[in-house]
Amino acid sequence: MAADLDTSSAMNDSTASAEASVSSSGNQIVSAPPEKKKRNLPGMPDPDAEVIALSPKSLLATNRFVCEICSKGFQRDQNLQLHRRGHNLPWKLRQRSGKEIRKRVYVCPEPSCVHHDPSRALGDLTGIKKHFCRKHGEKKWKCDKCAKKYAVQSDWKAHLKVCGTREYKCDCGTLFSRRDSFITHRAFCDALAVESGKVPPITSSPPASPLPPPAVSPSAAVISSVLPIQSPELPENQIRSQILGDAPVTTGVARSSSNTSSSSSNGSTSSSVFASLFASSTSSAANSVQPQTPGFTSLIQAMAHSTDLPAPSPSPEPVSLCLATNHGSSIFDTAGQDHCQYAPPAPPAMSATALLQKAAQMGAAATNASLLRGLGIVSSTPSSSGEWGRSQTEPESGSLTAGLGLGLTYGGGSGLKELMMGTPSVFGPKQATLDLLGLGMAAGGGPTGGLSALMTSMGGGLDVAAAAASLGRGDFRGKDI
Amino acid sequence: MTKTQIIHRSCPWPIGFPTPKATAAFGAGGNSGLSDANCMEQLLVQCATAVEANDATLAQQILWVLNNIAQPDGDSTQRLAYAFLRALISRAAKSGTCMMLDAAVASSSPTISTHKFSVTELASFVDLTPWHRFGFTAANSAILDAVEGFSIIHIVDLSLTHCMQIPTLIDAVASRLAGPPLIKLTVAGATEDIPPMLDLSYDELGAKLVNFARSKNVNMEFRVIPSSCTDGFSSFIEEIRSEQLVQGNNSTNEALVVNCHMMLHYIPEGTLSSISSFDAAGSPNSSYRTTFLKNLRRLDPTAVVLVDEDADFTSNDMVCRLKSAFNYLWIPYDTMDTFLLRGRGDGGSGGSKEREWYEGDLCWKIENVVAQEGAKRVERAEPKGRWVQRMRNAGFRGVGFSEDGVAEVKGMLEEHAAGWGLKREEEDLVLTWKGHNVVFATVWVLAS
Repeated sequence: MAADLDTSSAMNDSTASAEASVSSSGNQIVSAPPEKKKRNLPGMPDPDAEVIALSPKSLLATNRFVCEICSKGFQRDQNLQLHRRGHNLPWKLRQRSGKEIRKRVYVCPEPSCVHHDPSRALGDLTGIKKHFCRKHGEKKWKCDKCAKKYAVQSDWKAHLKVCGTREYKCDCGTLFSRRDSFITHRAFCDALAVESGKVPPITSSPPASPLPPPAVSPSAAVISSVLPIQSPELPENQIRSQILGDAPVTTGVARSSSNTSSSSSNGSTSSSVFASLFASSTSSAANSVQPQTPGFTSLIQAMAHSTDLPAPSPSPEPVSLCLATNHGSSIFDTAGQDHCQYAPPAPPAMSATALLQKAAQMGAAATNASLLRGLGIVSSTPSSSGEWGRSQTEPESGSLTAGLGLGLTYGGGSGLKELMMGTPSVFGPKQATLDLLGLGMAAGGGPTGGLSALMTSMGGGLDVAAAAASLGRGDFRGKDI
Repeated sequence: MTKTQIIHRSCPWPIGFPTPKATAAFGAGGNSGLSDANCMEQLLVQCATAVEANDATLAQQILWVLNNIAQPDGDSTQRLAYAFLRALISRAAKSGTCMMLDAAVASSSPTISTHKFSVTELASFVDLTPWHRFGFTAANSAILDAVEGFSIIHIVDLSLTHCMQIPTLIDAVASRLAGPPLIKLTVAGATEDIPPMLDLSYDELGAKLVNFARSKNVNMEFRVIPSSCTDGFSSFIEEIRSEQLVQGNNSTNEALVVNCHMMLHYIPEGTLSSISSFDAAGSPNSSYRTTFLKNLRRLDPTAVVLVDEDADFTSNDMVCRLKSAFNYLWIPYDTMDTFLLRGRGDGGSGGSKEREWYEGDLCWKIENVVAQEGAKRVERAEPKGRWVQRMRNAGFRGVGFSEDGVAEVKGMLEEHAAGWGLKREEEDLVLTWKGHNVVFATVWVLAS
């Protein structure tokens, strides 16, 4: 049964003729030699034959004939009749008497198919069934070795027997399962240059013979029984579980690095452009890497210092990281002050805020909020002054009037890195109300956790802002989520 | 098990991406990645708008959010968003107000590295997906049809992929019943600085090809005419044209085929003076792109094959381009898991290295679309419809692919993941991923 790959795949897809002619003669498709491709048009039924048109459903049904006693289904009525005998039910086998039974032919249910036309109907039920699956059906049988896909299980099984037995090998040792790949590699591989360097080229390679498909070049060897190079695709669920497996532990991370972890650089790949960007403006910034700790720092509003409310964070000594310090960035200063003095350009700000709010809802609904804890946001914002998070004690916090401050503290044993950001984005043009967005994230939470955790915390921040707006004064309290 | 997995993976329609209702998909944990895409696009668009408006504060806010949700090692949507995020940072850094970003980015993030491929690396790299193979297969079959009966075939290969489709063409020509023709291959060394980059000179590349052709008993001449996309290959075309004039008309048995593979969209589509380029396409004061096609027509080619990405990156508005790019370039990210192993190089698998190369090239493209302007913005893909119009305006007529050619493309797609598909639109072929257009292939002859 050396049906080769090319044959089976060609049949499978592109050549209706081979397939149809084979199936109408009732043979197994795999045994069809490639030449059948060139045969006559398939499906030239006897004009007297009875044309059967089945719906896709009944065509693919495996049990069209069901026993009323035990509900066992059969593909053929004959088999059901034989089965009925066992129940002592009346049964009747069709007689073989010539005239009674007209020859039956079957059309494909797919209207656009050539075999939908009765004049091109196929001669047997199995044939039309396979045709329909192959041409119009889903290819749900996949070879794990080479990723070829089949709609008909028997095709798939036939392929499995021969998969990997047809491969091309370059002199350099590389194996190819596809001829095109081999040819392209071969042309550029040094092995060819070496070979043709050794011998005069014309004699080294015999005239390219147009005939045999596997005859690639003199040095091309078709070898057998080698695993294909192509790795099977990873099943998606496997991938997913890998991701989850990679996700760092979310609890119990020590707060040992309390003063140093002011930036994102925790050694995990999520170390981010931005976290370190922000961190760069402080002296203590953050080069301390916690290699084994996918853990947590929590960045909190530096304004927490300025409030008289106790910070909810368990950490007794929040480290503040202020973006808007004078030595930090002039962007923040100027931009922030602009925000304080004038209303910011409304449309982008509004829509962005709305977007974030939406995202927060999404995230909150989509995940469990326990991912994020200890969002310590406490701020005091006198609405009259428009100043934001002023601090009397620490110079860094004092400069928070610039508008964007990041504080850092520890979320105790929460084991999550929490980033929080607050910004003065003004909702109403006249009111110097500050919108406090608490944005947190689980930086170590793996690729899938980040968004939801972020959104969750954003929800908290937005709540704060809304509450503040309604109160009309600037007592903001961050809450643990 | 195999069965269910396939069912899951092979549903050939886009689930939730990018649909407007995706954001409504609360709750269901399995769907989070899908609604993310929409959210990320919104955030990116908002951020881009803020960057363009020089609203540093808002831009910072959103960049911050994005940075936390778009992980470079996350799922494909996150990786996609991460690439755009970087591009936006790069753009913000170029505009004056966000200057400080630049240093921070430079210090904290790995630079986008575009790999310099060895020639065999590139051969297997372009083999990973149908992105390029589709064009190779379709074009080669069209070329074979076009040159039938000619004893000399002159192939002008304007290809981004450094002659990667030529070996199979040589191979096919070698087995021609009428005996192999002489192949004259002319390439333009025009995209050295555009990924995928090759670590080999074109002269060496050509030597390998000639050697390979010889092993197939095919005579081949190879030649490089250094030229540039930025002037619409004007010197390149001029040289071929003057050669034709010298040769005179005694070359009736020579076919000239111009193979344009993902290359023409690097020709500037706007005139230097006028910004609104597309309207000016038909006018006398036309773009390099238009001029190139007119010059091409004057070469009197036997056939022209045009294969390119079916996307629109030509808008002068960066936000538009970003949207357009996001809604196109999710595809290469989405397909990635079908042919590359996940991992970050610690598994020792070759897949992760290739993933790095693959994403590096994509990042380059995204950065070019989003962050660059003027002559440096070279990624200016146009959708198929506009190319068709351009070709017609230049005096070409579309011809179809043969049934054999279509069958070959189908057979090639069989070797790849289930999401890839083939669509026929009039004479043209379109490669699709989950039903979305990816790359188109067209064949053209002289109209008259």
